[in-house]
Amino acid sequence: MNTRGLKLPLAVAGLSLMALIFIATLKTMQAAETSMASDTGSTEVRIDNFTFQAPTITVPAGSEVTWVNRDDIPHTVVSEDKVFTSNALDTDDKFTYKFSQPGTYKYFCSLHPKMTGEVVVK
Amino acid sequence: MSDSRDKLLRMRSNEITEDHNHDGVDRRGFLRCMAWAGTGALCVMQGGVLKSFALPDAGKKKIKGDLSFVQISDSHMGFNKPANPDVTGTFQTALDRIKALNVQPEFLLHTGDITHLSKTEQFDTVEQMLKQNSMPQTFYVPGEHDFLEDDGRTYLDRFGKNAQGSGWYSFDQKGVHFIGLVNVVNLKAGGLGNLGQEQLEWLEKDVKHLSHSTPIVIFAHIPLWAVYPQWGWGTEDSAQALAYLKKFGSVSVLNGHIHQTMQKVEGNVTFHTACSTAFPQPHPGAAEGPGPMKVPADQLRSVLGITDVNFVHGSHALAVTDSNLA
Repeated sequence: MNTRGLKLPLAVAGLSLMALIFIATLKTMQAAETSMASDTGSTEVRIDNFTFQAPTITVPAGSEVTWVNRDDIPHTVVSEDKVFTSNALDTDDKFTYKFSQPGTYKYFCSLHPKMTGEVVVK
Repeated sequence: MSDSRDKLLRMRSNEITEDHNHDGVDRRGFLRCMAWAGTGALCVMQGGVLKSFALPDAGKKKIKGDLSFVQISDSHMGFNKPANPDVTGTFQTALDRIKALNVQPEFLLHTGDITHLSKTEQFDTVEQMLKQNSMPQTFYVPGEHDFLEDDGRTYLDRFGKNAQGSGWYSFDQKGVHFIGLVNVVNLKAGGLGNLGQEQLEWLEKDVKHLSHSTPIVIFAHIPLWAVYPQWGWGTEDSAQALAYLKKFGSVSVLNGHIHQTMQKVEGNVTFHTACSTAFPQPHPGAAEGPGPMKVPADQLRSVLGITDVNFVHGSHALAVTDSNLA
């Protein structure tokens, strides 16, 4: 058998394989970057049945948190340190706040103060 | 939580659960008269002996009193979710019930959540309906739903002219001293209703010089006793308020907020909560949360109601009658 004839196809196959692996890796990295970008984008907290459905969330600094009221009673989102205060949110109303600074932000519903939650910003 | 449920079950079977005084008052009979979300009973205390009349018979009797008024509560004008898409209609039914009473009330007490979202047009609707139905003068205290905008300016501009702070005030009617308290503002995270130091100091001064034989009626939105703290149904600093009232022989506390009738007698104080005219809420612990409770449409009016109160000079307690809108 003429090995010289085999060497070239093998090399091409090897290079192609490496290229494929490289592209696959790139795409994975891009995907990872995209999901990281959406992590710093927006997080939703659902309000329903007199509870903040995710009572504690952790988000990166610079991200927004949007509260959506799916309950059949109005609620408010009020930070204990008065950093943010929403209007009264009726069913399907939303309130968004952008957390620029790291820290722990405790909040509650001023109408039903037993409803509490916190946003941890890293 | 299960302790509360046991207690409620025992109350329903007429066992005495609150007996802090041994003053000859037949509390077992009184508890039997509790109007529990739907039925009505007229209970009249006469010299410590209880007489009871079941509705509708009581409605036909002329209950003699020196003073008669009606408590309405939690009209939530503007609410339109499945639990009751027609709060205007059920409010009208409540007014019709008042008009049908044998002894017409001299005034109304509204124990708050007049509106659902503190909107001007919602306050307007309530006032217009009272006027169109020739209702007598109405005294209000706000619920948390009435203070959603402008720190309550919409409510205070309308109903707070003779009030102080966030809307507390007192007045006298035929020798009975009425005190409207506000326990729905400046609520703290994780807390209950709250009166606050300024209001408590005002209350102490307000009752200081009254003789201990003056009957006292307190009305406020959130219950002044711990009905069910897990759902925020109580007031943090009510004990201090009640301490200022210890000297009085007859204290009645009328509340709303929980959208069902409950009563408790503790010493010289009788606590009573009223039904809503808009929608019912679950019994303590009977649901995941205290939200509007859906019932079949043909049962809705049986779980909404008004409270008729009659006072006879010389008796220790008010005669309180709950009736539903069915």
